[in-house]
Amino acid sequence: MITTSGLTKDYGTTRGTTRGTTRGTTRGLDHVDLSVTRGSVYGLVGPNGAGKTTLLGVLAGLRRATSGTIDIGTTKVGVLPDTPLFDGWLTAREVVELSLNMSDGSTDQDRVAAVIAEAGITEAADRAVGGFSRGMLQRLGVAATLVAEPELILLDEPCSALDPLGRREVLDLISRLRGDATVVFSSHILADVQEVCDTVGILRQGTLVFEGPLEQLLVGKAQPQYLVRLRPPIEPVVATLRTVDWIERVTGVGPDQIRVSGANLEVLETGLVPALAAAGAQVVSLAPDAPSLEDVFLEVVK
Amino acid sequence: MNLWRLEWLRLVRTRRLIALLGVFLFFGFLGPLTARYIKQIIENFGGNVQIVVPDPVPADGITQYVGNAMQIGLLVSMGIAAAALAFDAKPQMGIFLRTRVRRVSDIIVPRYVVMVAAVVACFMLGSIAALYETTVLIGSLSIGGWLLGTLVGSLYLAFAVALVSLVAARANSVMLTLVVSVAILLLLPVIGVIPDVAPWLPSHLIGGVDGLVRDGAFGDYLRATIVTIGLTLAALWLAVRVAERREL
Repeated sequence: MITTSGLTKDYGTTRGTTRGTTRGTTRGLDHVDLSVTRGSVYGLVGPNGAGKTTLLGVLAGLRRATSGTIDIGTTKVGVLPDTPLFDGWLTAREVVELSLNMSDGSTDQDRVAAVIAEAGITEAADRAVGGFSRGMLQRLGVAATLVAEPELILLDEPCSALDPLGRREVLDLISRLRGDATVVFSSHILADVQEVCDTVGILRQGTLVFEGPLEQLLVGKAQPQYLVRLRPPIEPVVATLRTVDWIERVTGVGPDQIRVSGANLEVLETGLVPALAAAGAQVVSLAPDAPSLEDVFLEVVK
Repeated sequence: MNLWRLEWLRLVRTRRLIALLGVFLFFGFLGPLTARYIKQIIENFGGNVQIVVPDPVPADGITQYVGNAMQIGLLVSMGIAAAALAFDAKPQMGIFLRTRVRRVSDIIVPRYVVMVAAVVACFMLGSIAALYETTVLIGSLSIGGWLLGTLVGSLYLAFAVALVSLVAARANSVMLTLVVSVAILLLLPVIGVIPDVAPWLPSHLIGGVDGLVRDGAFGDYLRATIVTIGLTLAALWLAVRVAERREL
């Protein structure tokens, strides 16, 4: 288990005023209690400036916490910044070799070739990285991070510069790491988090406002509701449904859809179809409407 | 590939080694030539004005070389050193290095040692070129004095690179590292205007090269040598401490 307790990070700031300058502090992290299960994939999400990069930096030992405790439980930590950068006159193979050698003194060429292949840059392995696109640098960064087989991998926006194919490959790579290494990755792309993460942590202004399994986050915020597609006009149907006592809310979603929510799922499942028939609705389709991670994220951070 | 080879490749592939070698060799060959023909050069540009220039002595060849090497050569060396030692100037680069090594000194030491080795080797090659050309054009000089003078000059260069490493540990860019380092080096001769302090300063060693090839006594530069060795080690130690405390 990787844990932090009461983790706080303050930054000193100097602000200009009409009477000169004043010194103050900005809180980057505010008593963050993180709990990451070993071997899991943990997604860190939050709006810009929420403290994601600061938290990853503190976990990586690149920044010092102002207070609180951290228990990483390993010294084999791999870090991939959002925009990896290497000496442009090195080849991709040399970057990965250097990364491996710095980490454990090894010169295992087979291992180097394997991660280069896994990152999908074999054809460019002997090219100088100065000419690499951002996506290629990201792939190289992944290879340079994984080559030393770290037990904790911290990835800051690993898919941000990748094309759809590259994104898919990196997500698959992260998924394959599950069980062998603990992965903490921050992302703005909530679909990525939803796809590969076991657990999600939501940061807002340096505070961890939610941490837990994705299902718990989604279920906890879910209000039982159905999305119904109708033949227009929908207004008479909406008006009739609003008179039904167990229906809590009916809202129009565009010209031919309505969202109906009820007190609980069972009532909706048994009563919605008869209610629609009674309202004279011409139903095209009908399906449960589960909230997306994006809906929940926006709800939590607002 | 390791951090030592990385530094060697940095010098070779970025052609910085050629730049270093070119600068010191250029002045190595130019210095004695200027010393030998300074009389003719001045006469050509002097017009009807008669300027009395003493006949050159062998030490003048080395003096000319050191004068240029310790200005333009030193500036080029410090610029190249700053580019290598300011590895945190680009945080992503710093993250790549720092999160893989056990200690920050694992990054700084190879960069410093390889850089100093390259600068000193180029300075010495330039000095050998100056010695050869001086012998051919002006006459032979004391090899012992020349060797000691070159070693003293090399020590000053090693100090300058250590100073760059210290400034780089704190500065946010290569240019800032270079400017602050040069400013500190320029400050030393200013402090040296105090007569009792001057013999203790690293900048005293620059004059040491000239003094020793003119049969000066090493004892005159012993205090500056000891202080410079101490300051070089202190700057390196401090550079590691400062870099360890730095946050990215």
